[in-house]
Amino acid sequence: MARFSFLNVWLGACLSSVPVAAMAQQDTTQHQLRTVEVFGKPAEVYAAGSRVVQLDSAFLSTYSSGSLAEALQARTPLYFKTYGASGSSTVAFRGTNASQTAVLWNGLHIASPTLGQADFSVLPLSGIGEVAVQHGSAAATYGSGAIGGAVLLNSPKYNTQGLGGDVKLETGSFGRYFGSGSLGYGSKNFSYALSAYGHLAENSFKYKDLSRFGTPEVRQEHAQVQQHGLTQDLNWHISPSTALSLHGWYTFSDRELQPAMGSVNANARQLDKSLRLMADLQHQSRLGQTDVKLAYFNDLLHYTDNSTDSEANVETYQLQAEQTYTYGERWSLRGGINLQHFVARNDGYASQQEESRASLFALFRYDPVQPLQLTLNLRQALVENYNPPLTPALGFNWKFFNSNLHQVSLKGNASGSYRVPTLNDRFWAGAGNPDLKPEQGWNYELGLRHVLVQGNTFLLETEVTGYYMLIDDWIQWAPNHTGLWRPTNLQKVKSEGLELSTTATATLGELKLSSTAGYTYTSSVQAKVYEGSGSDQGKQLMYVPRHKGLLAAEAKYKNWSLLGNLNYTGLRYTSNSETSHLDSFMLLNLALSRRLQLGSNTLLLTLRSDNLTNAAYQTMAYRAMPPRGYTFSLRFIIP
Amino acid sequence: MKKLNFFRSFLLAATLALTSVGFTSCDDNNDGPSGVYAEDGVFVLNEGNFEHTNASISYYNKSTQQVQNNIFSKENADRPLGDVVQDMHIYDNRAFLVVNNSNKIEVVNATTFKSVGVIEGLSAPRYFVALNNEKGYATEWLPPNADWSYNNGRVAVIDLKNNKVIKTIEVEKQPEQLRIINGKLYVTNQGGSTVTVINTATDAIETSIPVTYGSNSLALDKNKVLWVLSSGNKDWNLPESEYTAGALTKINPADNSIIGTITFPEVTASASKLLINGNKDRLYFLYNGGVHQLSIDASALNTTPLINRTFYGLGVDPETGNIYGGDENNWSGDGTVYVYSPEGTQLSSFRASIGPNGFVFN
Repeated sequence: MARFSFLNVWLGACLSSVPVAAMAQQDTTQHQLRTVEVFGKPAEVYAAGSRVVQLDSAFLSTYSSGSLAEALQARTPLYFKTYGASGSSTVAFRGTNASQTAVLWNGLHIASPTLGQADFSVLPLSGIGEVAVQHGSAAATYGSGAIGGAVLLNSPKYNTQGLGGDVKLETGSFGRYFGSGSLGYGSKNFSYALSAYGHLAENSFKYKDLSRFGTPEVRQEHAQVQQHGLTQDLNWHISPSTALSLHGWYTFSDRELQPAMGSVNANARQLDKSLRLMADLQHQSRLGQTDVKLAYFNDLLHYTDNSTDSEANVETYQLQAEQTYTYGERWSLRGGINLQHFVARNDGYASQQEESRASLFALFRYDPVQPLQLTLNLRQALVENYNPPLTPALGFNWKFFNSNLHQVSLKGNASGSYRVPTLNDRFWAGAGNPDLKPEQGWNYELGLRHVLVQGNTFLLETEVTGYYMLIDDWIQWAPNHTGLWRPTNLQKVKSEGLELSTTATATLGELKLSSTAGYTYTSSVQAKVYEGSGSDQGKQLMYVPRHKGLLAAEAKYKNWSLLGNLNYTGLRYTSNSETSHLDSFMLLNLALSRRLQLGSNTLLLTLRSDNLTNAAYQTMAYRAMPPRGYTFSLRFIIP
Repeated sequence: MKKLNFFRSFLLAATLALTSVGFTSCDDNNDGPSGVYAEDGVFVLNEGNFEHTNASISYYNKSTQQVQNNIFSKENADRPLGDVVQDMHIYDNRAFLVVNNSNKIEVVNATTFKSVGVIEGLSAPRYFVALNNEKGYATEWLPPNADWSYNNGRVAVIDLKNNKVIKTIEVEKQPEQLRIINGKLYVTNQGGSTVTVINTATDAIETSIPVTYGSNSLALDKNKVLWVLSSGNKDWNLPESEYTAGALTKINPADNSIIGTITFPEVTASASKLLINGNKDRLYFLYNGGVHQLSIDASALNTTPLINRTFYGLGVDPETGNIYGGDENNWSGDGTVYVYSPEGTQLSSFRASIGPNGFVFN
């Protein structure tokens, strides 16, 4: 551990990341108007026809003490399997599983290479600037794992001139405390920001124990969570054409893992420590833009219970270099390479293991006429023994109707995707399966988008997307005919669905209203099974809700703001046979904020209630979730 | 770092690395007939996924060939049975359901499956047997050490009038199946080389019979010979060269003497789930990736299996002699039960629930 703390010190001493400062009161109308430009973000320039949704900044700011899991569960159609209030939380995108989701931080993969997935409950919102969700396959752009979709995290942009900062203190039901602070300095060519947070939650709520006779009300035990972390971001414009950014992100999480109702408390505990360091150099020349990212990640996972003591420690070295060349206003080409090197020590492996992966990518964008945008992306990954085939993606975006009031676009794409086996799949002692193949997917989608703008006072954006996806050679661990557990290419899955969303923003004098409604239908079924006895063909995969809906609204009047969030999750089967399920549930969250101006500084008071209707629900069977709770927070912002 | 036991590491792998796994059974969509589970039926013990509280019991009616899943929850206000059901024992009008990772034995009426009590405070209970309506015995494992090594286990003596543990008797490591013969309780010890004999009048250990390492199941034949099946030492921490062979040991319960031993030829192959047919003249067990049959008159093992595949759960119908094999179906969907004739011809199959690991014939 000595090295870990040394790196910590180094992080503290010389690196970077930005606070959430200055995000308190973004002008929502303006924000929304900006997102009308579909290709606002660099990665999306080459992702025509795909659906990328940005999480609302007012929401992120209000709920900054929470985890990414809580935020995405509340504000997107994604379903999270959460093992109780303190356990891990993994995502299911468009009917796929957690490993089939890429998670990127400033453009680089951060999912655990041993498990091949990210635990969203240990990814804090604090210190993250932007959260975007890419629905559907995007492996040609993002690489392995972007089958069902991708979650894109970016460090905050710090634009303030001079010194700024904020302090947030929060206390809530069930023994919950949170504190965060940030400090930043910005000048014309330089900005630096440091933020830190600490979080303690007892999770000592009461719930009905369904496993015991008479379902007695009991207090949740063994679910305490302690988390803290640090981010640093530094941006330096060395010259008008050259910029350097350094980002550092450290997260620490020590959790008692909440046992299932009816299951023995084995004192399971998990320690997660992740250090992520990145340097990004950008240079503008007549050959276009050069972007080189260099990163070092260290992920430690230490699990213990009464009879287990298991540690996985992985170091990841990553290099991504890309060159973007734009010709006139119609052609753009980006080519690049991504190199990853993993050094993994895991108690489940026979010895320290190393693996290198490379991928080459080329992204084209062509706008033959102004309203039509075409993109073609190609990626070839090179992984020893597990070479996936060339992965293409073809997309278009056609704004076929454009008047003063209305814009209507048709968009679509066809994209391949892949996922190479994880380090555990490859190196777990005794479980090796030499015949294992990478997963492969095909995603087709078509969408219609309508935007209605009435001056600066009313904006309505509506989007409907239908998709069809096939994922073959889906990897899952299962026992073979002799009872040996090993990873296997278990099944072929067909997922299809519909995604509807509409966002309205209106300004009526001093009252500002914005609301979002969304609905998704997801059918994700086994199309073929390659292993095992019973066929569950045609049946919905476990823990994929067919229906999910959400309604979010924000009202601002003078210094008051009310944020509401209503979320419906339909029935989920708990095995692939459709013979047992968890009931649907509805969650309502409300947050009321009052803003006080203290000279040039701002004080923000927020009272919020989560699960206001006191719904009893589970996202993983028999893992109790918190009932109605209240949180009060104070935030002091120095401009 | 502690060295992980291989089994445990797979468990971890299963828990941590499985991406799409996570299950339960909290309700029941079965439309089969309900009510009486008394006649001509087979109870299927569905272990469920470890730490997911979705163990369940299925009821298969042999004459109508209909299956009712999740009968415990159905008869008990949707309450889940618990986490990992390991054993079920019917005595008189009560059925005892041993739920391993819930540290309890649920007691239900054997015909209605309505709850009549629960025996709590056990430690990883494995198997149960009743002496009479007043007293029963359960084998228990104590929590393993951090290196996954085991200490001695114990047998809990349970007062069946009030469902309380009266006393515990220390036996060898990892006690498994147990059986009462002539007032003596025979306890197999998976983590040792003896069968422990306990006098049920005094609840004290009478003797220990040395057998091949790793005894896990036993059966009494028509000649009153007790057969004990041992897996041999298959400690995953050891290299395969240090494994020892499994065996069948024949014991005369009259004087606890060993009549003979049939040692298995394949040293690395494990053996488990010894059963006997209704006529008590043919033994069945799992060995070396297959279902094996052995006449009680045989002196050596026929190395060709009766059924050339293994199962997670095995049962033999005492009435028909049919063999029931439970397939865990990747643990992500309901398992399948295959029914074979006594000669090993597949007759039928049906779906039960998650991880069928045993059968009880009514």
